[in-house]
Amino acid sequence: MRRIGFVSDFLDRLFRRLPALPPLAALLLTAMAATAEAAEKIAVFPDTPYDGFIIHESLVIFWIAILGLIVIIRMKLKEIERTQEMGADRENGDAPLLE
Amino acid sequence: MNCPRLKDWLEERYDLNAIKELAKGKLIPEHRWDLWYYTGGITMFLFIIQFVTGMLLSLYYVPHIDFAHKSIIEIVTKLNMGWFFRSLHHWGAQLSIVFLFIHLFGTLLTKAYRKPRELVWVTGFILLGLSIFFGLSGYLLLWDERAFAAVRVATGGAGAFPFIGWFIKAFLRGSMDVTGDTLVRFYAFHVAILPLITLGLVGLHLILVQAHGMSVPLSLEKEKRREAPFFPNVFYKDLAVWLVVAGVLATLAVFFPPEIGAKADPLAPPPEDVKPEWYFLFLLQTLKLFPGSILGLNGETIAILLVSGAILFFFLIPFFDRKSSRGEKSPVFTWIGVIYLLYFLTMTLVGFLS
Repeated sequence: MRRIGFVSDFLDRLFRRLPALPPLAALLLTAMAATAEAAEKIAVFPDTPYDGFIIHESLVIFWIAILGLIVIIRMKLKEIERTQEMGADRENGDAPLLE
Repeated sequence: MNCPRLKDWLEERYDLNAIKELAKGKLIPEHRWDLWYYTGGITMFLFIIQFVTGMLLSLYYVPHIDFAHKSIIEIVTKLNMGWFFRSLHHWGAQLSIVFLFIHLFGTLLTKAYRKPRELVWVTGFILLGLSIFFGLSGYLLLWDERAFAAVRVATGGAGAFPFIGWFIKAFLRGSMDVTGDTLVRFYAFHVAILPLITLGLVGLHLILVQAHGMSVPLSLEKEKRREAPFFPNVFYKDLAVWLVVAGVLATLAVFFPPEIGAKADPLAPPPEDVKPEWYFLFLLQTLKLFPGSILGLNGETIAILLVSGAILFFFLIPFFDRKSSRGEKSPVFTWIGVIYLLYFLTMTLVGFLS
């Protein structure tokens, strides 16, 4: 009898909370769907913070290298233009050849 | 690095001085529109990046419907820097087409296509078409639901072309629908057929540019202007621009790696708001402007015919623009170029926002 009493108590409580079930079920389904979508989404970028930091740091270094190279190219170009303006880049046909 | 023995060895066999003299002898005009000259160089640089990253990706990609999608996921998630090379390849493709369009419209607006450079325009235009096909064929290799739906729409659209549409559609798909045969076919186009044709055409384009020299806009032709030797002056400037482009490309690849959708399922309904690549958006928006039926004829067929006619006219502009060939100003063709550009930009934007 005590057992039956326990079951009927359980059913009683369940039916009392029945109106709360549909929203709970909906919440559960939404959560499941959300997790399923998150699981389906493929990580196209390394997802650990350490990897992310290293990649961004490398990108910054890459940009610094690019800017450095551009400065060197600009300096070199200025030098070339200066030499060209002086005409020092042209070969002189009459120049004596050193053996 | 100085290797005198290697230099001597080569000089004994080949006339290296002639190459040096040729590079030094090539002169580039300097004027206020000379910025356009760099767009061609940038496009070539991006093409080289595409070839290199594509070769690396092809070492791991499996062109089979059961494994294609999985192999890309493995490239991205398991291979060291795989995600980066795929992202570089994706953004390299987008930037190549952007710069090809800029180069094309620059050539059009400065009338650089005028006599005797008609064939330079023709080869460049074909290269743009090939690049777009490169994009379409590469898009399907991902074999996700969006790529599948987009290629189904694109190849279906080609099928609406009168008389030969069925042949184009069957030739592209390799079967009735987009299937594993289409994937293998697009893979062959993407890694073998198109690269070979592209290499040949780029070579021809460059030879023609060397043969004719750089074009100067009509309005500046009579002006007295300076000329700079290509090597080393312009070459160094090109190098600096390429470095910036490499930086932009790497930044895009890091911050916006392309997504991978769910594996394509031919029996599943197409995903919502599926859009083709941005360079097809103007075409899609144009097709939307037409009703299903016009005077009893298929609206889509009429739209495709009109768009094809417009593209053919664009392709043949150097042969229609007689005034430019005679060295006279031709504002009509400038306006035509502006209208084409505005239409393309507006429709692409509308397609992107809708």
